[in-house]
Amino acid sequence: MKKYKQPSTVGRFGKFGGMYVSETLMPLLINLDKSYKKIQKDKKFKKELNDLFKNYVGRPSSLHFAKNLSKYINGPKVYFKRDELNHTGAHKINNCLGQILLAKKMGKTRIIAETGAGQHGVATATVCALFGLPCYIYMGSKDIERQKPNVFRMKLLGATIIPVESGSKSLKDAMNEALRDWIKNVRDTFYIIGSTAGPHPYPKMVRDFQSVIGREAREQILKVEKKLPDYLIACVGGGSNAMGLFYPFLNDKKVKIIGVEAAGRGAKTEETAATMTSGTPGILHGSYSYVLQDNDGQIKEAHSISAGLDYPGVGPEHSYLKDIKRVKYFGITDKEALEAFQTCSKLEGIIPALEPSHALAYLIKAFKNKHKNKVVILNLCGRGDKDLFTAAKAIGFDADE
Amino acid sequence: MQMNNLDSLPKKKILSLFMTCGFPTLNQSKKVFNEMLSHQPDIIEFGLPFSDPMADGPVIQEANKLALRSKLSTQQSLNLIKELSKSKNNTSFVIMCYLNTVRKFGLIKFIKNIKSIVDGIIIVDLPFEEEDEIKKSLSKNNIHLIKLISPMTDKKRSQKLLKNSKGFIYYISATGITGSNKLDYKEINKNVKSIKRISSVPVLVGFGIKSKKDVIDISKKTNADGVIIGSALIQKYFDIKMDFNKYLKSLKKFIQEVKI
Repeated sequence: MKKYKQPSTVGRFGKFGGMYVSETLMPLLINLDKSYKKIQKDKKFKKELNDLFKNYVGRPSSLHFAKNLSKYINGPKVYFKRDELNHTGAHKINNCLGQILLAKKMGKTRIIAETGAGQHGVATATVCALFGLPCYIYMGSKDIERQKPNVFRMKLLGATIIPVESGSKSLKDAMNEALRDWIKNVRDTFYIIGSTAGPHPYPKMVRDFQSVIGREAREQILKVEKKLPDYLIACVGGGSNAMGLFYPFLNDKKVKIIGVEAAGRGAKTEETAATMTSGTPGILHGSYSYVLQDNDGQIKEAHSISAGLDYPGVGPEHSYLKDIKRVKYFGITDKEALEAFQTCSKLEGIIPALEPSHALAYLIKAFKNKHKNKVVILNLCGRGDKDLFTAAKAIGFDADE
Repeated sequence: MQMNNLDSLPKKKILSLFMTCGFPTLNQSKKVFNEMLSHQPDIIEFGLPFSDPMADGPVIQEANKLALRSKLSTQQSLNLIKELSKSKNNTSFVIMCYLNTVRKFGLIKFIKNIKSIVDGIIIVDLPFEEEDEIKKSLSKNNIHLIKLISPMTDKKRSQKLLKNSKGFIYYISATGITGSNKLDYKEINKNVKSIKRISSVPVLVGFGIKSKKDVIDISKKTNADGVIIGSALIQKYFDIKMDFNKYLKSLKKFIQEVKI
């Protein structure tokens, strides 16, 4: 295999990706792309970001050998890449710090973002507080309801939350509204996209900022196991935590890579968010990628118990990696994820977010009594505090007050 | 080859009216377009409803939502346009849509459905960088690909974009999405002038034109060749609390007003 080199200069991952936006946004994206290219070569920027990673986020995140879970599975040795230990409780902060430094360099004075689970919203609100920039978060009203703790966090951090009532009132619609805001306020506003989705250069930029996860994991596993892992597993909604872990391993052919999507009530039902299992290529939010759509190209509403995976699209790089068969993608249902959520909590003393619970569920299901002597790294990309109410409700525990 | 109405647009005061297909319902939509056609505007823009119209404002998004409520298909919209074309006369027919709609329907099939009916097409989220294949197929069938220029488009980019442009140029008046509020005539005039130095195709100003006064002001205070009105036509429906018969009447009155 040739060395992995994606995307192209115009943001293509094979046939996927690109910039499908109106002319009101094109000049901005071109400008953003130029600015991003410039800072990539800027040593000062790199140093600033690394300092923040180390002292503000608490990086490197640890690589924890999940002994009890490994024993329970009776298969491979399982390591957790613990990005849930990051400041703000998820991997999202990695990308937000990168983007806000870029926004500063570009002289932007107002920050907007979309959020689903609220993790990206919290991370954005956090970096805005740190850098003293006004912050506006678009969030579907359905998500506001099911992610109350994060809504309160964002407010504490000084962000303004703008509820989105259109469409399915979740992540997809929040992104539509944020894009509209950006078109309206192009001159002073920087849009921090939280996933490897959207038009070029976002999928590349977000991946690059998140790839600190994979670079650390690689170094850490080589230290403890003296070899590369046999498997990588991560959950995929838009796909940023997964790309962050996968990217530094893509050239290592022997490392098998698995992305786990949210299948909701089942990948074959209408209530799913398993874009790559159930979707077809189409255009959503400025990028050509797999999407959940009907025969007329109308985007369908996604469903997942996890607000962070409740998105009918997926980052274009994942679509490419699926098509070249470098990464395999599987769906996990709400029910399976909830079970894994509880199993992990009990066995490892770590309450995972519902998003990585999907990855955990796949691991438990597919590796049980199999793949002994193998080494797996699973990206534990977020902690479960934000999901306590949702999970309690689903499990049937009365968590009120 | 058959005539393209866009090639014989008047020199000044061009009026283009936008309306979402299937709004509020498919049957009522026919009446709406017939009303519009009866005024013989220079151009009618047919919006194909899309679930995620990210370049449109809340009013058009709501219209899309209403149209899609009854699962309106692309084929039904195209059939509607075809039916209306019988009373088209000199009015130019232009489709405004998102790329996913065309892609999913199939470009060849799409063109087959609109050939000799539609004079131009605006694919909102198809940037110049990605247009080659589509532009070629359209031009073979004498359908013009209409270009959007925004206040953020610089001169160098405009030159690339407007090379060989046909039909008209859609200048997005506000840095904003359709239906936003303020019009900055100075800026519009400056930008329209610079477009006119590059291209001889008529320049129409769209986004945020709401009243007869706006139309007159554009004509008097700027160098633009005409206007595009969209959201304001749809807003009327919500203003009169969705009473369809009243809506048709207020639409008639409004169109008479803006025909200057």
